[in-house]
Amino acid sequence: MKRLLAICFSVPLTILFIVVFACGCKTDPSKAGKKKVAVIVSTLNNPWFVVLAQTAAAQAQSLGYEAKIFDSQNNTSLEADNFENAIASGFDAILFNPTDADGSVTNVLKAKAAGVPVFCMDREVNSTEAATSQILSDNYSGCVALGKYFVQQLNKKGNYVEILGLVGDNNTWNRSKGFHSVVDVYPGLKMLAQQSADFDRNKAMEVMESLLQAHPDINAVFCGNDAMASGAYQALVAAGKAGDVKVFGFDGAEDVINSIRDKKISATGMQFPKVMAQTAANYADSFFKGKKDFPKKMPVAVELVTQENVKEYIGYGKKDNAQK
Amino acid sequence: MKAIKYIIIVFIVAFIAYNSVYFKKLDEVKASLSQKEFNAPQYAAAFWNNKLIPNLDKAIDLTKLKTMLSSDPAKTFDVYSHALGIGNLRYFLIRGKGIIESVNENDVTVMLNVDSSKQTVTLATEYIFGNAVRDASGLININEFTNTMDFNNVSAEINKIIREKVLPSFKQSVKKGDVVEFTGAIELNKEHLDLSHVEIVPVQIGMSNEK
Repeated sequence: MKRLLAICFSVPLTILFIVVFACGCKTDPSKAGKKKVAVIVSTLNNPWFVVLAQTAAAQAQSLGYEAKIFDSQNNTSLEADNFENAIASGFDAILFNPTDADGSVTNVLKAKAAGVPVFCMDREVNSTEAATSQILSDNYSGCVALGKYFVQQLNKKGNYVEILGLVGDNNTWNRSKGFHSVVDVYPGLKMLAQQSADFDRNKAMEVMESLLQAHPDINAVFCGNDAMASGAYQALVAAGKAGDVKVFGFDGAEDVINSIRDKKISATGMQFPKVMAQTAANYADSFFKGKKDFPKKMPVAVELVTQENVKEYIGYGKKDNAQK
Repeated sequence: MKAIKYIIIVFIVAFIAYNSVYFKKLDEVKASLSQKEFNAPQYAAAFWNNKLIPNLDKAIDLTKLKTMLSSDPAKTFDVYSHALGIGNLRYFLIRGKGIIESVNENDVTVMLNVDSSKQTVTLATEYIFGNAVRDASGLININEFTNTMDFNNVSAEINKIIREKVLPSFKQSVKKGDVVEFTGAIELNKEHLDLSHVEIVPVQIGMSNEK
């Protein structure tokens, strides 16, 4: 009798459990409608990263997904919160621009553990196992091209200084190594000083001012990004040496493209934030459709912009595709 | 008898125990691990000898390529160009023949042996940098590399081979009027194609004085 009663209770309970569980699955927001893509960006204070984040979100939306931008404000702990929110809110993929090559690895691994693929854009994390793929500017090769142009412009001899970006950032050293892989071949080119200005325009101006005082015989300055190139140029103008010292930058920022056009700055390396952002969103789309074998690191070509070819470029890209 | 039996057992146990545990210096272990690190000069030499040189016959004739690029650039880029990354910069493995028009400080100007159009190209002899030769053949797969710096170093090592093995004898003997046959790599921008300044990074150069 007891056995019969047990069966009478357990069968309907099991059915009820299955029904409730099935309904629960249907109401899971991440599975209900469109898939959701989170765009977690290091900062929205710099227009370059705004372009990167907005393009990634727009591309994800154009592919039929919901997209939301999270600003980490260059703060690793805020970035960790953004990851936790994105994972808890049921986002299906993360398009990620890290704040710190080492510090961001944990966040990417958390997402991976939760089954959420992460596609890095522009900046890398120091792990080949964490992100599904990393789409990065080919900083090294871009600076090889820039270094070759630098040597040609100085006719293989002269004194120069280098202003580095953040010393803890991989891009800083990839750019510097690419540049030196060419310039160091020519013994007539002498580096008088190498100093960091943290990718910051004002700091670069101060650094350049002090370098000019210590080394009045400088022929050129190579800067790790365009903001610092603008700052260095400003210092040269103030010192009355703008016409004597050639300035080289990296990024393809709008004001530097204008300065190259006005023959104030010699050259820069043009990065393509839109190409990186679109590729990251396209990779997420392919992932949802079943593709799993992505290149761990995909370099995006950096193009040399000089006073000879500047007419083909605008800030952050080429005239044709930058307006897309 | 029992004593002998115990001695044999103890000996066997001692032998097994001794061979089960190994002690190595930490320095030696670290050194052996570092030997497994990517060796760019070795990779570049193997690529040069075993992949690139045996496949040079796949290089496309430069004058033919220029004609195709003028008529159908998109298709020509799709079929003949390669690059490890994405973007507008693409690389072609090319070959050609021409007459040396001038020998300059950093390059050599070559008049291609074609019709009356008198096309000239330059053979780089000084600035051998970049990814043209690494990428042009399409024989290297980016998934072979987990580290960005590894494939950057491969380019640097390939360019070193060109500077040290291909160019010295050519630079020493080249003069205006020589007939030159070359195989090499070129970089072209897919978005803004400029065929008026084609620079070849040479892989093989053959010369004769017959015109």
